[in-house]
Amino acid sequence: MNTRADALALSRPFLRVLIVLNLLYAAGIVLMFLVSLLAPDFLFDTLGVKHGDHRAQLVMGMRTMMIVGVLAALVVDRVLRQLLAVVDTVRAGDPFVASNAARLQAIAWWVLAGEGLRLVIGAIAWAASTPAQSLDVNVGFSLAPWLAVLLLFVLARVFAQGTRMRDDLEGTV
Amino acid sequence: MAIVIRLDQMLHERRMTLTELAGRIDITLANLSILKTGKAKAIRFSTLEAICAVLECQPGDLLAFDPTQPPWE
Repeated sequence: MNTRADALALSRPFLRVLIVLNLLYAAGIVLMFLVSLLAPDFLFDTLGVKHGDHRAQLVMGMRTMMIVGVLAALVVDRVLRQLLAVVDTVRAGDPFVASNAARLQAIAWWVLAGEGLRLVIGAIAWAASTPAQSLDVNVGFSLAPWLAVLLLFVLARVFAQGTRMRDDLEGTV
Repeated sequence: MAIVIRLDQMLHERRMTLTELAGRIDITLANLSILKTGKAKAIRFSTLEAICAVLECQPGDLLAFDPTQPPWE
């Protein structure tokens, strides 16, 4: 078995593990959100939120972040599942199909949505921070994900065009 | 499709089978069959040339336009 076949054979279980880990991550955030409603003092004291006038603002900010975090996990879930479907078509021996072009396009949109949510988390951290205590969330701007989105959109178009060309070639005698 | 392939008729006139034609030109029987049944989307000039050379005919003898047929989807 060559390296490419190895990579393909490994990518499927790897993606499945990532899907499970991501769902566990989402479940963890949901659990944390529920604890924040049922036992707020316990959770926010544990997380190091100081008592004072600013506490309510920080608590609200962190709860909002938890909701956005769950949404982000759902976005990652969509990306991973679409990718798994693409890998399955490669394994089946016919990846140049219109549905894969649509999947790549969908992945591009989901990654874009994920980047949007990352900015939202940054905005929430900024809005919820107070002079007394700030929400220390590192969402530094990076060009790489935006380039990845652009690349995915271009790749989806290339795939769609390639699929059409192959269809034409298949009917050529 | 309004383009009609008259390969069957040409073969019949020359008492030649599709298998025989496939053997004389470098095209599989399956592909020739696709062409004969009008399921092909396109035909290469090299294919047309090879068929015309063996059947000693012109491309116009093999292809015809029939406006009464529904157009290609």
